[in-house]
Amino acid sequence: MSAVIKYIPDWIIFIQAFIAFSVPLLLYFLYTKLYHFVGKTPSPNVNRPNEKKEPDEVNVPFTGSFEKDMEIIQELIGGNCDFRTREFTMAKLNRRAILVYVDGMQNDRLLNVKVLEYLMFEATAEDMGLPLKAAELLPFESLIEAGDIGAFNRSVLFGHTGLIIEGFPKGLLIELPDGANRAVTEPVSEALLRGPRLGFTEVLSENTSMLRRQGFTDQLVMKTYRVGTRLKKDLVIAYMKDIVNEDLLREVDSRIEKMNMDFLAESGYVEQLIEDNYLSPFQQVQNTERPDRVINEIVAGRIGILLDGTPFALIVPATFTMLLQSPEDYYERWLPSTLLRMLRFLAAFLALMAPALYISLISFHPGLIPTELAITIIETRQGVPFPSLIEVLILEVAIEILREAGIRLPKPIGPAMGIVGGLIIGDAAVQAGIVSPFLVIVVAVTAISSFSIPTYSAGFTLRLLRFVGMIFAAVLGMYGTILFFLLMCSHLTKLKSFGVPYLTPLTPYRLQDWKDIFLRVPFTLMKKRPAMFKTRNRRKST
Amino acid sequence: MLLLILLSFLLLTGCWSSKEIEDLALYAGLALDVGQPAPVEEEFEAKGATYSKKNKVMATIQIVPTKSTSGDEKKKMIAPKHYINISASGDSILEIFRQFSIRRDRPIIGHHLKVIVINSDLLKKQTIEQLMDFVLRDNDIRPSTLVFISRGKAQNTLISSQPNEIPAFHIYGMIRNRSRTSKVIQAVTLSKLDGLMYSKRSLVLQNLETAKGETEFSGVGIIKGSTGHWIGNLNQEDTEGLAWIKNEGHAGVIKTYDRDNEPITYEIKSMKSKTKVHVNDGKIAFHVSIKTEGRLIEIWNSKGHYTKDESNIKEVEELFKAKLKQTIDELMHKLQSVYKVDVAGFGEALALKDPRLWKSIKDDWDDLFSKTEVTFDYELKITEFGSFTDE
Repeated sequence: MSAVIKYIPDWIIFIQAFIAFSVPLLLYFLYTKLYHFVGKTPSPNVNRPNEKKEPDEVNVPFTGSFEKDMEIIQELIGGNCDFRTREFTMAKLNRRAILVYVDGMQNDRLLNVKVLEYLMFEATAEDMGLPLKAAELLPFESLIEAGDIGAFNRSVLFGHTGLIIEGFPKGLLIELPDGANRAVTEPVSEALLRGPRLGFTEVLSENTSMLRRQGFTDQLVMKTYRVGTRLKKDLVIAYMKDIVNEDLLREVDSRIEKMNMDFLAESGYVEQLIEDNYLSPFQQVQNTERPDRVINEIVAGRIGILLDGTPFALIVPATFTMLLQSPEDYYERWLPSTLLRMLRFLAAFLALMAPALYISLISFHPGLIPTELAITIIETRQGVPFPSLIEVLILEVAIEILREAGIRLPKPIGPAMGIVGGLIIGDAAVQAGIVSPFLVIVVAVTAISSFSIPTYSAGFTLRLLRFVGMIFAAVLGMYGTILFFLLMCSHLTKLKSFGVPYLTPLTPYRLQDWKDIFLRVPFTLMKKRPAMFKTRNRRKST
Repeated sequence: MLLLILLSFLLLTGCWSSKEIEDLALYAGLALDVGQPAPVEEEFEAKGATYSKKNKVMATIQIVPTKSTSGDEKKKMIAPKHYINISASGDSILEIFRQFSIRRDRPIIGHHLKVIVINSDLLKKQTIEQLMDFVLRDNDIRPSTLVFISRGKAQNTLISSQPNEIPAFHIYGMIRNRSRTSKVIQAVTLSKLDGLMYSKRSLVLQNLETAKGETEFSGVGIIKGSTGHWIGNLNQEDTEGLAWIKNEGHAGVIKTYDRDNEPITYEIKSMKSKTKVHVNDGKIAFHVSIKTEGRLIEIWNSKGHYTKDESNIKEVEELFKAKLKQTIDELMHKLQSVYKVDVAGFGEALALKDPRLWKSIKDDWDDLFSKTEVTFDYELKITEFGSFTDE
């Protein structure tokens, strides 16, 4: 008995054990508290009663009387300065009619030459005689009947051309909006050397057509949602009916339905409203402006989300490895692709850890540096008055400022300023003895590495975490750096994107899918779709 | 609130045990000499700056790099020395090192120690176990540090006349020349030395000689395992013989004189040896067969009897063989009769062949070895003659 008592440690050990035990619990508690605090956005169900109080859309039915209808319309939206009307008489029918439109949102030539000409001189009694059949007989490609004046007004203000004919109890919307659009150009944020030069534009119909044009199929389904509580917008989800996992589809559907925001300006809004963990530094929804990327992921079993008014489509679910994959990996032969992919993993690691490693080596583990290098570093750092953390922070922050400023610099002077800023600041900082030349290399490598990541927004994550890593390294050295890495890994392991673990197939371990992570094996070996999405149809080729 | 406390925990610890690299002094070389106060120390002691010690050993460390005032001035100044040697004596190496801390502005760290040079006279007074105890225990100092011996003052090996050279790195780099000569033995690292010392085996350490600020590898110093003291040196040619027997050489030359007494040189392209152990009723005998191939690389004799003629080649081969035999015989004489130690790996061969027998005799193997019969046979082949004009 006394032999056992001898081995019971004293109370200090017990206190240490208690602290070691309670710190993770405490952190977990804090995390959940914070998570709930941030996540307390009112759900649409809760909000609905309030919404009712807001002045809702007017739902005035058409009266059937031409003058009366026009009066109501004029009263409701006639105050807008860009509101135009054109009243005329239909010659063959001898009835008055009026075109209602918003200036600048139609193809004027088409409107004048074809529509007016037809309506004024050709439209006959047969065409317009029977009110119910009118729609079928009018030779317009797009023709929608508006049920009430409110809907009619909204459509007109959105850019449709409205037509009201005397004696016809409904408003007709005959032309689609044709506002100023950008031409289709190469995607700016995801340039490739090899691959289609096609990028999404701001027009949803163009974007969906780009997806359609990728190939013949009747399985590509596009489903429309109206999103936004105040300014409504179209949102399309695209998936392959015979491939996509049912549960995933249901999940996406329900999350989109639950979105509660008066206006979704960009797909970034959607991303943030449907993502799983809003405290995570990692993005759980992939964004891209390349149609080829979207269609590739759709065929793999993912779901594409397109929002009107933005060239950035979303892909769900996203996994970690996706962030380091580029469509070019599949367009080039497998050997160069594999090499490039490994290079990207290395670059990501450098972008994340290089400054942290520098700090821990310089300040904590001089024995781990090769002797000759250690001597050079000592010689160059002799005049530097700061500890390595401050030194790294000075240069890193300077680089980040340059980067941020570079986006906003006017195009003609942008590159010049970038080079001047980078070179001059780096060189001058060394000359002034604020930083050591070795650090300039580290920071430059870090900055360049972070640009080699194919997804720009994934670069943000690394930039953010780099600073965290630096602080860990400054406090605890290499131990801290490794601790930071482990913490990050454990967070990633726990993270999920639409039910799919973020780190698949690394963990949960799916060796089959490893063919497309670090390596990109030849296509002949990639006969099956990734197992991680549990798609309906596993085989890619027979 | 909790977050704030946690944050302060993190930040108030500051940079835990961090030491910026430029605030440290690396020492790349360590020389151990017979204890006598260094000149500076003498003056200090004369002024009463002393502590209780016996001057048994003088340690000299080479600190790199020296503190340069500023990066900008490098153009004006004629390159200053890149290292500082600092010596002190005492009877504990760690205590001497800590004494340096009251003389220097930066603490010294041992991660980058490359070479340790021990004076042979010191090794006569102290055992190698005593001297190496600290460097083996210290966990900063790497086990890959190389150990050398010096017949002259060990601290002189850490001085170089070359302005841009750090002597410790110079010595460390000289080991690379094993690819060109067999006068350089396989470097003895601290970890290897540890093993040899622990098993009380005799060992050889490369000997360093200095002259006018230059250092040369010259033969090896023998340390007898049973005592741990230095007992003598083998010269350069003996070192070559050692490489032949231990099958450790890679390259080198054999030079001899032909019938007209003109030098003639053989460049070794391959050197192999095999030691066979014969045990007969407790009587141990060794047979070493040496095989080498190479090219005839230098002939000073202009009388021109060197043709590719078969008998001619045989004659030349015999010349070289005789020279090789002479080298090895001389070495064996020194090992068996003069120093009576086995440093040529015969013990290992026996231990592999008959471990039980070895176990029973290993404690007095050095004595047994001096009475053991060792025979040799040589096979030397000239495969080519280099490029030359055939008449």
